[in-house]
Amino acid sequence: MKQIEISPVTRIEGHAKITVQLDDSGNVSDAHFHVMEIRGFEKFLEGAAVEEAPRITPRICGVCQTAHHIASAKATDAVFGLKPPETAEKLRELMLLGQYVHSHSLHFYFLGAPDLVMGPDSDPAERNVLGIIKNNPDLAKMAIKTRAVGQHITSIIGGKPVHPVTAVPGGQSKGLDAEGRDKLLNDAKECVGLVEAGVEVAKPLFEEYADAIETLGPVETYFGGLTSGGKLGFYDGQMKVIDKEGSMVHEFESNDYLDYIEEKVQPWSYMKFPFLKQVGFPDGSYRVGPLARLNIVDEVPTEKAGALYGEYKDKFGMAQNPLLYHYARLIELMYSAERAVELLEDDAIVGEDIRQGVDSLMTRAEAKESNETLRGVGIIEAPRGSLIHDYETDGAGIIQRANLIVATGQNNLSMDIGVRETAKALIHGEEVSEGLKNRLEMIIRAYDPCLSCATHMINGESPLLVDIHDADGILVKRHVI
Amino acid sequence: MVKIALEWLASCAGCELSILDLHEELLDLLEHAEIVYAPILMDVKEIPDDIDIAIVSGSVRNEDNKERLQELREKSKTLIAYGTCACYGGITCMADLYSPEDLSARSFSDNKSTEPAEQPSEVVPELLPIVHPAGDLADIDYFLPGCPPKEGLIKDVLIPLIDGKVPEIPKKSVCADCHRQMDHVEFDKLKRRVVGDMDPEKCFLSQGYICLGSVTLGRCGAMCSAAGIPCHGCGGPSLDVLREPNHDVYNCLVNRIAHLSKMPHKDVEKQIYDKGHLVYGFVIGSTIMENKKVSLIPQLIKK
Repeated sequence: MKQIEISPVTRIEGHAKITVQLDDSGNVSDAHFHVMEIRGFEKFLEGAAVEEAPRITPRICGVCQTAHHIASAKATDAVFGLKPPETAEKLRELMLLGQYVHSHSLHFYFLGAPDLVMGPDSDPAERNVLGIIKNNPDLAKMAIKTRAVGQHITSIIGGKPVHPVTAVPGGQSKGLDAEGRDKLLNDAKECVGLVEAGVEVAKPLFEEYADAIETLGPVETYFGGLTSGGKLGFYDGQMKVIDKEGSMVHEFESNDYLDYIEEKVQPWSYMKFPFLKQVGFPDGSYRVGPLARLNIVDEVPTEKAGALYGEYKDKFGMAQNPLLYHYARLIELMYSAERAVELLEDDAIVGEDIRQGVDSLMTRAEAKESNETLRGVGIIEAPRGSLIHDYETDGAGIIQRANLIVATGQNNLSMDIGVRETAKALIHGEEVSEGLKNRLEMIIRAYDPCLSCATHMINGESPLLVDIHDADGILVKRHVI
Repeated sequence: MVKIALEWLASCAGCELSILDLHEELLDLLEHAEIVYAPILMDVKEIPDDIDIAIVSGSVRNEDNKERLQELREKSKTLIAYGTCACYGGITCMADLYSPEDLSARSFSDNKSTEPAEQPSEVVPELLPIVHPAGDLADIDYFLPGCPPKEGLIKDVLIPLIDGKVPEIPKKSVCADCHRQMDHVEFDKLKRRVVGDMDPEKCFLSQGYICLGSVTLGRCGAMCSAAGIPCHGCGGPSLDVLREPNHDVYNCLVNRIAHLSKMPHKDVEKQIYDKGHLVYGFVIGSTIMENKKVSLIPQLIKK
């Protein structure tokens, strides 16, 4: 048996490898997507005061740090039984939109689009954002400007552009003043125009790569995500799950997630495989993120994004093809910019009532005596999909146990199956072109996986090598790519 | 053209993002330097030879991280430990408060949403017994802590290095950049950060809230305190703490609180409810910090 290895998968957040097993006639017998390390956030949160969690957990991932920050803060609200004031909820939602503008534009322009703009078979030395900067500087500048708006929002609302700090139990530590609001409103309005221009560049690419959309990473799954009254939204809502045809199978509140979601461990990856508990593994595999959200909602409630959503639905209906994640992501990028304008035009955003406080806490000694357990579950839609933080604390609010289900894990099985099915269709024999291997990576990239999050892990992997082993596992040939 | 490489070990990618957060200034930088390797951005998969400036982020969690770091050192003229994880271990080293077995159990065999299973062991690498800052395992030319370092700092460092000069960067603590007023106030109780209303103009320590600003390097511009949040020490120890063998983040913090509040040292120590996450959270993996005679790190870490 021979094995082809692609390691590391590049232009994603975090590190992973792909292995493809060949049988004696050179056909693919199996293939997997492996994630290689674990940092252990769920364990080392234990013993921390729960109010520290919103500033510890953003370090799970520097890319979707705001999403962790807010999910964590929502969990701490629940632990202490606090309801943030309206202004605080709006500031948090705005901060989350900053996350989307930065993360979706980072992914589309910097990580994913080079495959489409430069071509999947182009020179790998040029097939990246630096190549785009060289060959299409106007597009690169537009990409940089769009992402900068997201980071400005996070910086002003969250206090810092990376690892924001202002979401605290019961609300926000800092409000928004009129000057900050005016500045961000200008930025957000400009951003709508920038995204419009980006969509014009992207649309023809989806026509050009219609074949790749049809064939790369085929899989059919359930879909899940938060929605309020059928509308697209990221900060709040109920978890809705639909089947492959689009019929609703579950709707539940965040506290009840354990009744619906279970995770499976596979021996060859540190990233776990969540599935729908009532359907079982692997049939109950489901996906989250932009593609899933546009499948579960009935409406995208802003003007320009709503119109794009209408066109997209007419064309693709219940979309299953992973490359359409890119398209869905752009529609969400538009929604995020438009929704940021809406929030900034609302006077509630500059309100002064921003935090419901905690009056007193038990001491550790009192807490030990009382034996009381508090629990808080925070759930939001992160750019890559539903993100759950679940903390149990003692009566003093010291974390005793933490459970995290992050977006990318929920797409793990689909990425794995997609790689395997595509490898089976495309690979025959051990001589595999660079462009073909890049197509396997494109499947992974479409999901915009955040592997730092997914096993709360990262990895320093070996260079991209394709190792050909003989039947005894001895290395016979090594290609360095 | 100066050749630059970016490598991440056990990190969150926030350091790489801080470089992208130069936004349009990144384009100016690229006129002086060429990025030859950066897995987050490009498909060059092997570390090239003859790197002029390598920037490594993250800490060392497993053998693979270690090998990668060594290879980077061998192939680069100048190696920058970029970010607090690379310099002092950072938050990843909070893992050292627990054993690798306990960490693994919480994820795979004793977890509320997971069918219990053995720790994955095929293809995946084994964990090291403790997490190390990159800076403890390789010769580093420049340490640039921060979680992540503030975006402008990379420019202040890289441009002089590209020009063959030694960069000049600030050396003050977070307090030096904080606008809050520090007063001597008599109090006998430290407050949890979640309790009460914080005065936006007054030093957190003066209000009885634990803040690490006085023991933390301040290249961040005290952004957290400006946003109403006490310093968590993510920038790594202040130069004063690093240089003085009898200074440690914990004992300096206790001294400072005792001085401000007139509380006896012992009372302050009793009330600091969590040394691992709250005081040593970002430096617990650092040998420099652990080897100080006054350090409590040896009592806290589990191998």
